[in-house]
Amino acid sequence: MELQDTYYNKSEYVETASGNKVSRQTVLCGSQNIVLHGKVIVQSDAIIRGDLANVKTGRFCIISKGSVIRPPFKKFSKGVAFFPLQMGDHVFVGENTVVNAAVVGSYVYIGKNVVIGRRCVLKDCCMIEDNSVLPGETVVPSFARYSGSPARHITTLPEAMPDLMTEFTKSYYQHFVSITATG
Amino acid sequence: MTHYCYSIKILPGATVCEDCTLEGDITIGGGTVIHPRVTIIAEGGPIIIAEYCIIEEYSTIIHKKNEQPENPPKPLFIGAHNVFEVGCRLESLCGHIGESNVFECKSFVGIDVKIGSGCVIGAACSLNAPQTLPDNTVIWGSEHNNREALEKQPSQLLQLDFLGKVMPNYHRLRKSNVHKRQMSRQSQEPAKS
Repeated sequence: MELQDTYYNKSEYVETASGNKVSRQTVLCGSQNIVLHGKVIVQSDAIIRGDLANVKTGRFCIISKGSVIRPPFKKFSKGVAFFPLQMGDHVFVGENTVVNAAVVGSYVYIGKNVVIGRRCVLKDCCMIEDNSVLPGETVVPSFARYSGSPARHITTLPEAMPDLMTEFTKSYYQHFVSITATG
Repeated sequence: MTHYCYSIKILPGATVCEDCTLEGDITIGGGTVIHPRVTIIAEGGPIIIAEYCIIEEYSTIIHKKNEQPENPPKPLFIGAHNVFEVGCRLESLCGHIGESNVFECKSFVGIDVKIGSGCVIGAACSLNAPQTLPDNTVIWGSEHNNREALEKQPSQLLQLDFLGKVMPNYHRLRKSNVHKRQMSRQSQEPAKS
């Protein structure tokens, strides 16, 4: 299925040399600690908390409107540490989703209004459905599909998931085209 | 038209980001950390936030207007050590939130809910009906299961410590505006003398 073109206002987005498209309406705290590996789209009102710890994403990630990417913290006997958050390639994060995970693998689809609890580990090729709540410290295995609140494993995903996600994120990127504001 | 004297009081030691919406009569206690993009609206009366609270991104605290306005309006008092996680929403007419509660991500607390101390409102849970939560209630899941917590919520002091140290390096902060005469460059000196 061909994706429809999503248009954005050229003046609203910044495009970097490596092809990242970042909205001006985002809050990128501690931008020196955020690494976007190229062709990443960060849409308006998304928050990435680089001030707490490093945040790294792979290529072709899509971070939708109003989502919050924030590194998780863990308490130790001597103080608190925020852990760096790593995201693989071809990851889609839906609208108004909160990601507190420690690791998000590659080819992962996270739906809308999802809450990913603290220090979750999402392995490669998994899917979290819309409106799910993943409790803290959950490990989601590869090719699993989780849904509900608290999220449970419901089905497995087809083996072609890496290809599907590659296709999806690439075409999303290609169909994310600018229009120049007229007048 | 009633004229409100809009005043925001930030006590020394509080970390309040500039990038947040504060409207009305709000008092923020010392040691409280308010992350960017927080909305606090005191339209129905003053909001008093005690010490050592954490209010994370996109949380909204609204003190709603009462249909029969009382004179003077009752304050919404939020006790110490409360944690409001990302995207939670608290609406209240008049009320009192106890101490050491955790409002998890995307939780919603409606206008006529009274909350004791040590409660946990789970992620994406919403409380709409008028009710009173006794102390140490834990609510979780889509079916809004509840149970009583066996132990007290651990204190967030260590996290607050960390945030208080890190946030000034990355954010523009609102300055504390109470105890002006004590402000002599360094704010770490104890407020009490």
